[in-house]
Amino acid sequence: MSRLWTFLAVLTRFFIELKRYPFNTLSGLATLYLIFLLLFAGARYAQGLGVNLFGESLEGLVVGFLVWTFAIAAYSDLSWELMREAQQGTLEQLYMCPLGFRFVTLSWIAGSFLTSLVMVAALLGLMMVTTGHFLRLPLGTLLPLLFLTLAPVYGIGFLMAGLALVYKRIQAFFQVLQFVFVALVALPSDAAWGKALPLSLGTRLLGRAMVDGETLFTLPLGDVLVLIGTGAFYLLLGIGVFRLFEGIAKDRGLLAHY
Amino acid sequence: MDAVVVDDLTKEYRTRKGPVQALTGISFRVERGEIVGLLGANGAGKTTAIKILCGLLRQTSGRAEVFGVPSSRPEVARHVAALLEGSRNVYWRLSVEENLRFFAGLQGAPPREARRRTQGLVAQFGLEDKRRTTANLLSQGMKQKLALACALVKGTPLLLLDEPTLGLDVETSHELRGFIRELARSQGKTVLLSSHDMGVVEDTCARVVILAQGRVVADDLVPNLLALFRTRAYRVSLRDGLPDGARAQLEARLSALRPLEAERALEVELPPEQDVYTLMDALREAGVAVEGVSRAEPNLEDVFLRIVRGQNEGER
Repeated sequence: MSRLWTFLAVLTRFFIELKRYPFNTLSGLATLYLIFLLLFAGARYAQGLGVNLFGESLEGLVVGFLVWTFAIAAYSDLSWELMREAQQGTLEQLYMCPLGFRFVTLSWIAGSFLTSLVMVAALLGLMMVTTGHFLRLPLGTLLPLLFLTLAPVYGIGFLMAGLALVYKRIQAFFQVLQFVFVALVALPSDAAWGKALPLSLGTRLLGRAMVDGETLFTLPLGDVLVLIGTGAFYLLLGIGVFRLFEGIAKDRGLLAHY
Repeated sequence: MDAVVVDDLTKEYRTRKGPVQALTGISFRVERGEIVGLLGANGAGKTTAIKILCGLLRQTSGRAEVFGVPSSRPEVARHVAALLEGSRNVYWRLSVEENLRFFAGLQGAPPREARRRTQGLVAQFGLEDKRRTTANLLSQGMKQKLALACALVKGTPLLLLDEPTLGLDVETSHELRGFIRELARSQGKTVLLSSHDMGVVEDTCARVVILAQGRVVADDLVPNLLALFRTRAYRVSLRDGLPDGARAQLEARLSALRPLEAERALEVELPPEQDVYTLMDALREAGVAVEGVSRAEPNLEDVFLRIVRGQNEGER
């Protein structure tokens, strides 16, 4: 049971802090919506010129933007939170959790996933009203697909968190990654190498579920298996790299420093 | 079973300028229910030893165990809680109660138990009026109390306190000393405390381990260490200070003489062949008006300085 209590304690703190900074939460949502509006206006203009910027339809823009938003939150929450904990001096206390620090980070991820889900659902509602294109939302298919699509991003989040433990200031790398994610979301997943990269295949499959109404069982089995494989690979790779850097930080006494 | 076992513990940091030896084969033990002080100058290795015991730092070699569990394993946190950076160990945007409940939950306490412990500690530390105040709005003393309460709320049998009274005013420091003594007396907690404030250590610890340059240079009960450095020294308060020529006259008869407080007092260490009557005779003959005489007892600070200086001179 102690796992449950620890999980709940981490989750409760996550939500208390979210509630305590309502401006930060709401302004984040508003900024994302504004970016979407700019992209949408650009896409409409390009469509008028006969250029299709976001695949087959505007729905492609909505799905891509949705995945990108989720991905940014997924990878930044973990590494950003870790840097913040190191800065304020509480990271060492989290490392003294009897279940281990990795359990704390997994609980963070759960909190981050739930929060992002609510934020993205609100954003999706706004986007659908703005575009006038209403997508299908089969949750039974969407949630597992979303998790599998984001698993590599969580892996990258662990990798970044590991780097932050040892090198502390990684903001430059951190910001560049946001643009890399845009490229990954927009990348065609037809080629085998495209499927092996994070986000690309998952975005396409989510698009097929939300636009064409396909379910987990009607999507190509091969693609779903590749998605599971790449998700597990990047997640485990990220955790492995995190463990490596964690060991270096413990060896050099860097957990308390920022 | 001992609460803490440190055996031949070594820590070497690799830096760009070459290896730095923080601990060189230190060994000591702490029994259950003991309050032990870990003393040393800056860079002596106190914090390194404490962080290894918490599992936050990896030793280069040797053994560090808490209640039989190697400190490198996460399970060690079931037995040990630590106050490492004072008030920096708490969440500044959470209230007193939220902080306490979070740390209890982190340790795996069910919500009801976390609430019970929180209420108990809020009352014990006199934080009732501030229980809904966020930590950033508390005074330094209250933040420090909260940080100590957050370590206690975990309910572990061992507490490692690194500079628990740093930056506190005299009154709050005394209050915290009382709490620490009470922990061992009424709750049977084991405490390993590191501090530069000798008053805190002398006031709370039965035994001290003194580190110098990463080595244990003394490990004994406080009264034994004080006895070791007890001398036949007397402090003489002077009514009108030292008259002209009196100092030379006194120095001729009393070998170890030290004027204090702008010659308003003297400290005299008597050799075995002299007694207090010799001292009084010498003072009378030099025309010194005496206000009072008392035995000058060494305190822990004297003991610490003598041991560490002796160690440094020995190394030279």
